[in-house]
Amino acid sequence: MTAPLLEVTDLCTYFEARTGTVKSVDGISFHLEKGEILGLVGESGSGKSITGFSLIGLIDKPGRIVSGSIKLDGRELVGLSEPELRKIRGRDIAMVFQDPMMTLNPVLTILDQMTMALQAHERISDADARLRAVEALRKVRIVDPELKVDFYPHQFSGGMRQRVAIAIALLHRPKIVIADEPTTALDVSVQAEILVEVKSLVAELGISMIWISHDLATVASISKRIAVMKAGKIVETGLAAKVLRTPSHPYTQSLLDALPSRSKPGQRLGAAASDHDAGSAAHPVAATVADPSFVVMAGLVKVFEQKRGFWARLSERIGLVKSKKPVLAVENVDLTIAKGEALGLVGESGSGKSTLGRIVCGIYQPTEGRVTLNNSPVMSAGPQSRKLTTNVQMIFQDPFASLDPRRTIGQSIAEGPIAHGLTSKAEARSYVAEWLKAVSLDPAFADRYPHQFSGGQRQRIAIARALAMRPEVIVCDEPVASLDVSIQAQILNLLLQLRKELGLTLLFISHDLSVVRHLCDRVAVMYRGKIVEVGTAEEIFDAPQEPYTRALLDAIPKLA
Amino acid sequence: MVAFIVRRLWQAALVMLVMSLLVFLGVFVIGNPVDVLISPDATQDIRNRVIAQYGLDLPIWQQYLHFASNLLHGDLGRSFVYNMPVSQLIASRFPATMELAVIAVLLASLIGIPLGIYAGYKPESWTAKVIMALSILGFSVPTFWIGLMLIMVFAVQLGIMPAGGRGETVSVFGIPVSFLTFDGMRHLILPAVNLSLFKMSMMIRLAASGTREVMLTDTIKFARAAGINEWTILRRHVLRLISIPLVTVFGLELGSTIAFAVVTETIYSWPGLGKLIIDSITSLDRPVMVAYLMLVSLMFITINLVVDLAYAVLDPRMRHGGGK
Repeated sequence: MTAPLLEVTDLCTYFEARTGTVKSVDGISFHLEKGEILGLVGESGSGKSITGFSLIGLIDKPGRIVSGSIKLDGRELVGLSEPELRKIRGRDIAMVFQDPMMTLNPVLTILDQMTMALQAHERISDADARLRAVEALRKVRIVDPELKVDFYPHQFSGGMRQRVAIAIALLHRPKIVIADEPTTALDVSVQAEILVEVKSLVAELGISMIWISHDLATVASISKRIAVMKAGKIVETGLAAKVLRTPSHPYTQSLLDALPSRSKPGQRLGAAASDHDAGSAAHPVAATVADPSFVVMAGLVKVFEQKRGFWARLSERIGLVKSKKPVLAVENVDLTIAKGEALGLVGESGSGKSTLGRIVCGIYQPTEGRVTLNNSPVMSAGPQSRKLTTNVQMIFQDPFASLDPRRTIGQSIAEGPIAHGLTSKAEARSYVAEWLKAVSLDPAFADRYPHQFSGGQRQRIAIARALAMRPEVIVCDEPVASLDVSIQAQILNLLLQLRKELGLTLLFISHDLSVVRHLCDRVAVMYRGKIVEVGTAEEIFDAPQEPYTRALLDAIPKLA
Repeated sequence: MVAFIVRRLWQAALVMLVMSLLVFLGVFVIGNPVDVLISPDATQDIRNRVIAQYGLDLPIWQQYLHFASNLLHGDLGRSFVYNMPVSQLIASRFPATMELAVIAVLLASLIGIPLGIYAGYKPESWTAKVIMALSILGFSVPTFWIGLMLIMVFAVQLGIMPAGGRGETVSVFGIPVSFLTFDGMRHLILPAVNLSLFKMSMMIRLAASGTREVMLTDTIKFARAAGINEWTILRRHVLRLISIPLVTVFGLELGSTIAFAVVTETIYSWPGLGKLIIDSITSLDRPVMVAYLMLVSLMFITINLVVDLAYAVLDPRMRHGGGK
C-alpha cells in the first residue's frame, strides 16, 4: 500500500489566552487517500474548523501548531515558512467556507476575484484569466458563465454563490479541498444539489476532500469515511455506515440521539435527557382539541412595496426610470390553528414563511385579510394599525440580535410585563426569576448581560421573555436553526415540556423538516407565498400529495 | 439613478431656500451696518441718503425678496466696505483657499490612509501603537497651537520656512496658484501641514478600525486560503472594502476645510476666504457674509452629492438598487 495523500499525526493546535491555554486541536491523527471524501463531524468548539485551518497553515495569533506533523505527498507542512505555505494554499490545498456571502468580496466582480486567485500562483494574462474563470464557472454548472463572470456576488443566489466559491477553490485543480460547513447556510433542496455536484466533481477531477460539518446526515451522504471530533480530539473514526449504525463511542451515540429525525415525534430527545421522564406522552395536548379555530388567518395577503416620493413617481411616469415591481410575499393564505396545537410552517428561504409568522404576531400589517385570535383581531384595522393583544409573542432565530446588549436580561424580560401591568416594578425581580426557572435557568442570571451566555442559553432567555407576557400563542421563527444538535435537542425538549405545562399554541416556522416533524401536530408547506399543502405531520411526511412537498422531503439527507 | 439625481437636485434647491432665509435673518440680527459705515458726525440727511442707497430702509421681507431675486439673476450684491461686486471679491480669494484645502486634505489622505491601514493590519506592533497614539494627539491638540509651534520652529528658530503670506504665484487659466513655484511651495507647506493634521488623525483612525474589522472577515480568510499574498489582499480587498467611510469623510473634510480654514489662514496671513469672512464680520459687511455662507452651503450640497455618487461607483450593491 502506498502512503496516503495526506497524513496527519498527533497534530496539536493551541491558543494561548490570558486565562490559560486552549487546546483547540489536541493530538489528532488521520489520513486522507487520493480521491476520497473524509467527513469531519463535531459540534461548534470541537476544533474541526481549526483542524482545517491548521492544514493550510492559517492559524491566527495567538494560536499556533504546537506539535505534530502534516504530510502532504510525503512533504512535511508543519514548520514551513509563510511564503512556502502560501505556495501550497490554493494550489495544493484549497478551502471553501460556510457562508459564501461573507467569503466573496461584495465589491469586486467574480472575474476580479478569480483573476486574483489565478495570479497568486501563475503568470497569466487577463484575457487568459477570463477564459479560465469562465471555464471554472461552467464546471460548477453555472448557466451563461461568459455573462455571469462579470457579476458581483450579490447578484447570485446563496447556492450559486457557494458554487462560485467552489469554482474559485478548484481553479488550480488542488489535490485537496477542505470544505468547512459548505452547505449549512443553504436551503435543503439547494444543499441536495450541491452535495450531488460536489460528489461528481470529486470523482471527475480525482481530487480529495475533507468535508467538515456539524450535520451528521449531510456528512453521511457525501463521505465514505468519517471522523467524529469532540473537544479537540477525534473520538471515533471509521466507515460512515458503520460509525452511524453501531457507534462505539458514547459521544457519537449522543449526537445521534439528539437528532429529531431519529426519535419518535414528541419524545424528549436524547442528549439532554437528564432527570425528566423520557417521552411519557407524545403530542400531549393534541388529543383534547377544544377550539379548532383558535387562531384564524383569513385571506392573508402581504405585498411589500417600495415607498416612492413625488419625483420618483414622476420620473417613472415620463419613462426616465423603470418602476420596481412590488413583492408579493404572502398570497391568499387561509390557515387555522386549534387551541393547544403546534402547527409547523415549512418552506425554503424566500417562501414567505417568516412574513406570515410576523403577520400572525402582529408585527406586519397584512395588505389584505386578517388574523383573529379567539375571535378577536390581533391588529386593529386601518392605516395606523396597532397590535391589540399581548397574547401572541414571538421567538426569533438569533437571540443575540433580539436581546439588547446593554441591558441585563432581567431588564429585558421585565420590560414588557411591566409595561402591560402583568407585574409591578417592585415585584419584577421575583416575576423574572419565576420565568427563568420555567426555562431551566438559574434565577441569579437575571443580572447578567446577553454576551455572557451561550447560544442555547440565550434562546432560553428569549423564550422566557416571550413567556413572561403570558401569551397563549407563540410564533417561533427558526428558533433552533443556529444551534448545535445537542443544544437544539435541549431547546426542543424545553418547548415540548412548556407546551404541555402551559397549554401553549405554537406556530413553528422552520426550514428543517425533521425538527418540525418532531414537534408539530400539523404541518403547512409554503412555497412562493402560498400554502401548497396542509395536513397532519403523519400525512405530510408519510404520504405527501404535492410534488413540491415530495421534492422537499427527498432533498433531506438521510442517515445510512 | 436618474430618479435619484432628480430627487437630490430638488432637495438641494429646498435646502438652499431654507439656508438663504436663515442666513439672511441671522445676519440681520448681528448688528446694523449703518453704525459702522457712516461716520457718527454725518448729518441726518446724509445718513438717510446712505441708508436708502443700500436699501436698508425697506422692511426685512422686502430686503430679502430683493436679495433673492438678485441672487437668482446671479448677482450676489456689492460689498459695503470694498465697494465692489461680492462675486469678484470672493473669486479673488477663493483659489488661495481652495489650493490650501485641497493640498491639506490630499496630504491627510495620502499619508493618513496608508498609516491607518498599517496600524489596523498589525495592531499589536510597536509602530501601530505609536501611530495610534500620535493620531490621538493630532485630534486633541488645538490647531492654532500647532500652527504657532510650526512657525516658531521652522520660521523663527530654523528660519527655513516663511512665516506667512502666499509667496510667488503663477497663473493657470487665469487663476493664480502657489504650488507650481518653489517659493509658493515653501509658503504653502506649513499651513497645509497644519491644516491636515486633524484630518490625518481622523483618516488614520477610520482606516485603522476599518482594516481591523475587515481583516477578521471570512473574505480575507478565503483570499488567504487561495494563496493570495498579503500585499495584494491589502491593496485589492481591504482598500476597496474600507473606502466608503473614507470617501465620506474625505468629502466632508474637504468642504469644512474650504469653509472653515479661518484659524490657519489667520495665523499664516493666508489671503483666502477665511480672512475675508472674518474681516466682513467685524465690519458688518452683510452682502459678503451672506454670499459667503450661501456659497458654503452650495459647496456642501455639491460635495455630498458627489460623495453619494461615489458610493454607487464603489459599492455595486448600491448601483443595482440594493440587490437581493
